[in-house]
Amino acid sequence: MIKTIDSIKTIAEIKQIADEVVGEVSKYLVGVENNTHSLITALLVGGHVLLEGVPGTAKTSLATIFAESLGLSMRRIQATPDMMPADITGTRIYNPKSMEFEFRPGPIFANVVLMDEINRAPPKTQAALLECMQETQVTVDGITSRLQQPFMVIATKNPIETEGTFPLSAVQLDRFMFRLLLDYREKKEEVEMLRRKLGKKQKVQAVVKASALISAANVIRSDVKMSDEVLDYMVKVVRKTRGFPQVVLGASPTASVALLNAAKGYAALFGGRDYVTIEDVKAVAFDVLNHRIVLKQEAMYSPEEKDISGIQQLKSMLSSSIESIKV
Amino acid sequence: MVDSGSDASGSQKQGESLIEDIRSISEIKKITEAIESQVGSYVVGWEGITKSLIIALLTGGHVLLEGVPGTAKTYLAKLFSDSLSLTFKRIQSTPDLMPADITGSHIFNPKSMEFEFRPGPIFANVVLMDEINRAPPKTQAALLECMQETQVTVDGITSRLQQPFMVIATKNPIEFAGTYQMPVAQLDRFMSRLIMNYPPRGAWVEVLKRKNDRGEVVNVKPLVKASALISARELIQEKVKVSDDILDQITELVRSTRKLPQAVLGASATAAVSLLMASKGYAATVGGRDYVIRDDVKAVVFDTLNHRLMLRQEGPSTPSEEYGLVRVRGIIEQTVNAVTS
Repeated sequence: MIKTIDSIKTIAEIKQIADEVVGEVSKYLVGVENNTHSLITALLVGGHVLLEGVPGTAKTSLATIFAESLGLSMRRIQATPDMMPADITGTRIYNPKSMEFEFRPGPIFANVVLMDEINRAPPKTQAALLECMQETQVTVDGITSRLQQPFMVIATKNPIETEGTFPLSAVQLDRFMFRLLLDYREKKEEVEMLRRKLGKKQKVQAVVKASALISAANVIRSDVKMSDEVLDYMVKVVRKTRGFPQVVLGASPTASVALLNAAKGYAALFGGRDYVTIEDVKAVAFDVLNHRIVLKQEAMYSPEEKDISGIQQLKSMLSSSIESIKV
Repeated sequence: MVDSGSDASGSQKQGESLIEDIRSISEIKKITEAIESQVGSYVVGWEGITKSLIIALLTGGHVLLEGVPGTAKTYLAKLFSDSLSLTFKRIQSTPDLMPADITGSHIFNPKSMEFEFRPGPIFANVVLMDEINRAPPKTQAALLECMQETQVTVDGITSRLQQPFMVIATKNPIEFAGTYQMPVAQLDRFMSRLIMNYPPRGAWVEVLKRKNDRGEVVNVKPLVKASALISARELIQEKVKVSDDILDQITELVRSTRKLPQAVLGASATAAVSLLMASKGYAATVGGRDYVIRDDVKAVVFDTLNHRLMLRQEGPSTPSEEYGLVRVRGIIEQTVNAVTS
């Protein structure tokens, strides 16, 4: 039986929670340990996550089970080309009884909001969501409401663009702390996934309370320290991306901030430490930077058959450049 | 159905009583046969389709029926749900259909001065969504959400749908102006796509003859209670065993579609789950067995995979739907042969 944790005061406890959440999610999904870790990291440092993968790579399941294992409220929005901002934020409706306009909150009022196929939503609707992400509040007809805390958006995206999609702009992509790339699982993992569909269905257990997550976020923010040496290293990593020959646009200053927060989260969640090392920065660098670099057209089409939008290229480019930085 | 020892084909003519509960896999098989023969006495040539509908219903799947107009898609769905004493609602999709037309909405009642929920047609056991691709994307998405979660949220209030719950969506293969293409991720939510073409000439004559005899009035006898279907569903979920060999084969089948040179996108992990569930359903309803064999997988593979492969354009720039289907059939057969031989 799992005990629900209701308060967190130390870094060690944060690491313990992270391990338990990963354990709980892994009961239902196979091969998602790293992605689950990234989701908790983002949640605890106030980031949002873009999950990219072809249909059926368990993007939606991952987000749902993740939210359930943390005991958080979750709402799912399926993006469509005819969706309006009010479909996300909610609207004011006249109530003839009270003779007042009443606010009907939209699906954005949840701890975890899953926006499925974000690139199918029209630009105005995408923008409304991104505004909520940044400000953790929403303004409808001039009246501002706070969103729930903790608040996190998990958006999914299909890399194979079909008709009727609106690509996210570079500025919009920049708002996501991580882009996690999901691929088909290994064969034995797929067999294992099927095996778990057999027999009685089980219910996901919440291992932690929402209030404990808020204190965990505070602990990470105030207690995890970063030396000047690590800060300097981070800046070098981000600046380096701007000099690549295959690149139109490198990572922005927002990327540096995301890298800093992600590294702090990683140090606490993975290492159980209250200080960040260069290894922490390296560990999160790819997930933080991969969607913030705009490649030149020719670099997007690599000779490799299955390399969608030059992901493999980006991977090797980033890792070699990070390795080349002298500490 | 009380075991009267008679063959199933004559069962609907006998006065047996409504089945209240289902306790074994062999009973599932008997009921399937009884339903098939009852539906078969009204429509001709769709035995396989009826079977696939039962399999989907008993394994929690939803079905896309694709066929030219006039192939009795709606009639079949109605017969099917009446035979199972399920509540049935039909939604005709139009380009101006809104999500609330499916889910229902809150309406202000000036007498009680309260907003009251008026449930939409989604609150039924079997929901027939006619010409799903004529509905605008947001409305399609609302339906698909109901399919996946068996619940519906209107104005922030969540209601459970009826159990069992199944959507039968129909789609016209000839794309008319004013239709919205369904994205791959949405097609993936359907357990199977069943193709209904014009019946052969002999069958067609039979159809007309029966229609002439019976007129339009249909009074179908319910054969089984909805609650019994829920126990049948649990039996299949918990009792039908799948060996490692079969799991391996299903995985390999799905994975090999991703390596096909003709495919832009192969079958997803969701496809593998559908194939597994459909195979279990087939084993129970057709085989009356509590274990899955290779032939069960083979029997359902085309229906389960045919709508999930995104193929590269080939041949004429606007290949007819029929041409596409022939190609898909060939590709799936090849894959099955390569994996199972």
